[in-house]
Amino acid sequence: MFHWLEKHPFLFAVGVFVTIAFAGLIEIVPNFAQASRPTIGTKPYSTLEIAGRQVYIKNGCNTCHSQLIRPFKAETDRYGHYSLSGEYAYDRPFLWGSKRTGPDLMRVGNYRTTEWHENHMMDPVKIVQGSIMPAYPWLFTTKADIETAFAEQVTDQEFFGVPYNKPIPMKDGTTQVVKLAKSIAGANADALAEAKKVASKMKNQDVKDIVAHGEVPEIVALIAYLNSLK
Amino acid sequence: MNKLYLWGLIITAAMLGATYATVGYQKGGLNGDIVNMLAIAGAVALVIITIFVVIKYVRQMQTDTATGELADESWDNIGEYKNPVPFGWAIIFLGTMIWGMWYFLVGYPVNAFSQIGQYNEEVAEKTAQFEKKYANVKGDQLVNMGESVYLVECVACHGLNADGNGEIDAADLNQRISEKSVKYAVIHGLTGKLLGTESAMPDRSGLMNANNNYAPITDTEIDAVAKYVADGFKDKNSAGAKVFAGTCVMCHGANGEGVAGMAPQINAWNSQLVVNVLDYGKVGTIGKMPIMDRLNPKQKEAIAAYVMSLSKGE
Amino acid sequence: MENRPLEYDYTVAKMFMLTTVVFGIVGMSIGVLLAFELAFPGLNTILGKSAAQYTAFGRLRPLHTDAVAFGFTVSGIFATWYYVGQRVLKVSMAESKFLMFIGKLQFWLYVVGVAAAVVSLFMGYTTSKEYAEFEWPIDIAIVVVWVLWGVSIFGLIGIRREKSLYISVWYYIATFLGVAMLYLFNNMEIPTMLATDAIGETNMGSWMHSVSMYAGTNDALVQWWYGHNAVAFVFTVPIIAMIYYFLPKESGQAIYSYKLSLLSFWGLMFVYLWAGGHHLLYSTVPDWVQTMGSIFSIVLILPSWGSAINMLLTMKGEWQQVASSPLIKFMVLASTFYMFSTLEGPIQAIKSVNAIAHFTDWIVGHVHDGTLGWVGFMIMASLFHMAPRVFKRELYSKSLMATQFWIQTLGIVFYFTSMWISGITQGMMWRAHDEYGNLAYSFIDTVNVLHPYYALRGTGGLLFLIGFFMFSYNIYKTMTAGKRLDSEPANASPMGA
Ligand code: HEC
Ligand code: HEC
Ligand code: HEC
Ligand code: HEM
Ligand code: HEM
Ligand SMILES: [Ca+2]
Ligand SMILES: [Ca+2]
Ligand SMILES: [Cu+2]
Repeated sequence: MFHWLEKHPFLFAVGVFVTIAFAGLIEIVPNFAQASRPTIGTKPYSTLEIAGRQVYIKNGCNTCHSQLIRPFKAETDRYGHYSLSGEYAYDRPFLWGSKRTGPDLMRVGNYRTTEWHENHMMDPVKIVQGSIMPAYPWLFTTKADIETAFAEQVTDQEFFGVPYNKPIPMKDGTTQVVKLAKSIAGANADALAEAKKVASKMKNQDVKDIVAHGEVPEIVALIAYLNSLK
Repeated sequence: MNKLYLWGLIITAAMLGATYATVGYQKGGLNGDIVNMLAIAGAVALVIITIFVVIKYVRQMQTDTATGELADESWDNIGEYKNPVPFGWAIIFLGTMIWGMWYFLVGYPVNAFSQIGQYNEEVAEKTAQFEKKYANVKGDQLVNMGESVYLVECVACHGLNADGNGEIDAADLNQRISEKSVKYAVIHGLTGKLLGTESAMPDRSGLMNANNNYAPITDTEIDAVAKYVADGFKDKNSAGAKVFAGTCVMCHGANGEGVAGMAPQINAWNSQLVVNVLDYGKVGTIGKMPIMDRLNPKQKEAIAAYVMSLSKGE
Repeated sequence: MENRPLEYDYTVAKMFMLTTVVFGIVGMSIGVLLAFELAFPGLNTILGKSAAQYTAFGRLRPLHTDAVAFGFTVSGIFATWYYVGQRVLKVSMAESKFLMFIGKLQFWLYVVGVAAAVVSLFMGYTTSKEYAEFEWPIDIAIVVVWVLWGVSIFGLIGIRREKSLYISVWYYIATFLGVAMLYLFNNMEIPTMLATDAIGETNMGSWMHSVSMYAGTNDALVQWWYGHNAVAFVFTVPIIAMIYYFLPKESGQAIYSYKLSLLSFWGLMFVYLWAGGHHLLYSTVPDWVQTMGSIFSIVLILPSWGSAINMLLTMKGEWQQVASSPLIKFMVLASTFYMFSTLEGPIQAIKSVNAIAHFTDWIVGHVHDGTLGWVGFMIMASLFHMAPRVFKRELYSKSLMATQFWIQTLGIVFYFTSMWISGITQGMMWRAHDEYGNLAYSFIDTVNVLHPYYALRGTGGLLFLIGFFMFSYNIYKTMTAGKRLDSEPANASPMGA
């Protein structure tokens, strides 16, 4: 018997493939449908928030920050309620991270503010002595890519049935609607309107100028995203 | 003794020493925490097992000779013995497989373990443990506890000295209120929850002139009253005192001690006021203070004690 | 027929040897920079403020991991395949014009793919999924390269003279199949370009951008089913292929036990795939998936150690070779680090231990025990063994190799001791509470204590990198200035002083 399979490369390869393939099915398939059901109160991201999420990914914030609060007292004390599967229903890709060089950000929107982020992103050590987080000054002048964000939303809606423009149930029994524009022009207008609200809390002159000019700096989108993390 | 074992012992000792130092550094060491203990035990086992198993085989390189029956094949002149598998390895492999099946099918089948259940137990246990302790935390101890919570939760905005971080301008907690904030309150009015429920303070158009001639409060008066309030109601003969007496007393009381259900105390901190800020946040001229309601009641009480201690004696 | 001397053709092997060295230098240099950025954050702007976004930690980190995994390691895998494959199958690449063409095509497409990957990552095009950061156009290039490699493997097997497949070939086949399956599923993504039609607009943003087919917890499951096995099929399985060939070949010893090879191989194939759940402990995936991940991780110790033990036993009675040859030292220590990391991994996979270890530097330490001590050492040893045979020259310098060995070993020791301590320290500090039951440390407290360990890790990494430069120099000098050999050495590679 020994050495027999090794003389039949095709069967050998099939044997290997079957051995490695079926574990994957058992691991992934059973939970697939259930895990994608949103919890009450979980909303899809707005255009500006998606743009901010893209800024987050582009700059590799996820290489240092997790977004997964594990069910330990020490962790819920520090970051808030432990994470629930349904809270990630609209996260494509997921951003749990695997290394916490910096703190978890799953609910950072609860305990940090626009003003705080503005200063911290410009120069972290000024706000937190001894911080080893890089500074992100260029985000204050580079422009967020609203078109790609919009394209992502449309993809979410068309391919994955993400409920834009539909009532989403909230915890308090009310419903909310997350708007998705019908055209790029509309998306730009929506994002700008939201950006103006964020920027009104900010002091940076570059940011104010760019927004006044009808465009959205990356930092504004990023902060809108961070504020949405709750 | 063989040199190898000596090296093995040295490396093991070094790693154990490093681990010991690591634990010693922590507040409370292992803290009676099972997770800490298991992690350390795992780390220790890792070093010891690897080093001594490898030494065992290296000893065989030094002393044994290769023997066995060679297979017929030879690939690019590499031969292959038909030796049996090492007995210890085979037994342990089999053992882990049986253990694994037992664990998964009998020990903790499918949903026998729930991490959320485990979490709830952990929280209940710790809560019970500290609730007993909390009953006796008073006075200076309460202030200490407050400082400790402050250092973890609030430093990021209010700074190490609680004087407001120069860069982001969070409130200076060493005083009850700054001139700037009083002015803001008077000019714009407030609709916060300092009293625990939504409570409004009128803006300048709704605040009378000190002469009570139905004209709204003037800029000069605002400056004066802001100075008086921020200074802690000291100069009773100042213009500000006069404005306050004329315009603000009915809500805030003669010395700014507040009127229940009406307006908050503004001459000093009180516990409820701080707790309300934590529970409901605050938006003012300085910026936005986030809601910090995930703290437990005792922690809030402690923070309030700490905040009150900051402005004492000034 | 059996003894007819064959003239093997190493053209493609040589090409991939070159990229192994180049990407090794690139990837590890970035690694050293990253390590020092965490110790001295000023380095985030090492090329000035105007280039800050290209040198900041978050942008560079995927460049490091992908350069060492898909540049250095995968090149090493291809290079050794194009060397070992011919020899153990007893067939020369020169015998098939077709396979030669496929091999070269694979190489050039690979180089183009890697170049595109580097540029796109620098520019910030990333999907963020670890070890699968590339956007869809590069995914396609990778799939094509991989398919070409498959053609090459099975093509060569198809025309082989040696009927029975040598152990190394088992592992190369498994590498090919495993990566193919995993990569495809984890990279299922919809280019946002496709949405343009749906809404009747043209030119909607970046054409490179895509959206993951899976969301949230599902995405995490697929990612770590992939991520864990990317480790398996890139950093483990093909490296075992290498050691099974190069250690017996260099030492002239016969493999200790065929049965042990066999059981370890099938054991590894079976068990590895079940263990991915250990990256998701205490997350929102179902409890039973996590438990399964933990259990299989423990079981996994044995098939892993089986191969390592088989290698150590192959050297039974051959201590004088270990003592005298730095090339053999590399391989014996590689086995040892393989054992270390495959015991460390399972221990970290125990739920309660993972509660501390996850998210900390202890994991990073575990990673580099494997990648530096096992992957790095084995790839360098393989190239050292191949060089005299493909260039027909003596290895340039033995003493340089010996020095390199000790420098790099010291580097690894610095790396894992520092990460061990910093990881456990940070993990425990996060959990610590004070006498009142409040969190004892603010997050920044737990960052500040790590500074000395980060500096030590950087130093260790720098030593490893210096060693890698010595290696590169040694290979280069072998190519250009090594003493010429008239015949191929059977075993121990000849080395200059
Ligand atoms: C080199 C690692 C690193 C990178 C990359 C990084 N951070 Fe951080 N981050 C840290 C560290 C360390 C801290 C804790 C110290 C501090 O607050 O500055 C932190 C803190 C934070 C905080 C404060 C969270 C809190 O609870 O106090 C936010 C928000 C944040 N980072 C956002 C970001 C964003 C957004 C990016 C990407 C654009 C990013 N970080 C990139 C390391 C990093
Ligand atoms: C109609 C009642 C009323 C009058 C008159 C009034 N206040 Fe107030 N004041 C309030 C209430 C209610 C609040 C709490 C608002 C909140 O919760 O946000 C408040 C809050 C304040 C605060 C903010 C306290 C803090 O912690 O930020 C200041 C300062 C203040 N008042 C000063 C004054 C001064 C000075 C005057 C007179 C010029 C005045 N108030 C007149 C009702 C009044
Ligand atoms: C994200 C930043 C941030 C954090 C975190 C934060 N604060 Fe504040 N806090 C502020 C700002 C900004 C204000 C000023 C609001 C205003 O304009 O009056 C403030 C105001 C306050 C006030 C009221 C001061 C006044 O004059 O009325 C108290 C009390 C306070 N903070 C206590 C705390 C405590 C205690 C914590 C921690 C448990 C904390 N804060 C955490 C930003 C923060
Ligand atoms: C028995 C074998 C092994 C087991 C059970 C194992 C287990 C683990 C565990 C539990 C983690 C940490 C997951 C987390 O908490 O984040 C991990 C991470 C990792 N291991 Fe292993 N390991 C094994 C062997 C190896 C080997 C040989 C390597 C080779 C280099 C390796 C490379 C890695 C890498 C790269 C990561 C990091 C993944 C990430 O990015 O988070 N592992 N492993
Ligand atoms: C010169 C030596 C090296 C140094 C200094 C180095 C440094 C680093 C640093 C600083 C990180 C980031 C850790 C963090 O986020 O905290 C990292 C991650 C990583 N490195 Fe290296 N590295 C080196 C060599 C290698 C090699 C040769 C490989 C692979 C063959 C490798 C594979 C990885 C992997 C897989 C990760 C991701 C780990 C994770 O996500 O858990 N590294 N390295
Ligand atoms: Ca990782
Ligand atoms: Ca991809
Ligand atoms: Cu894994």
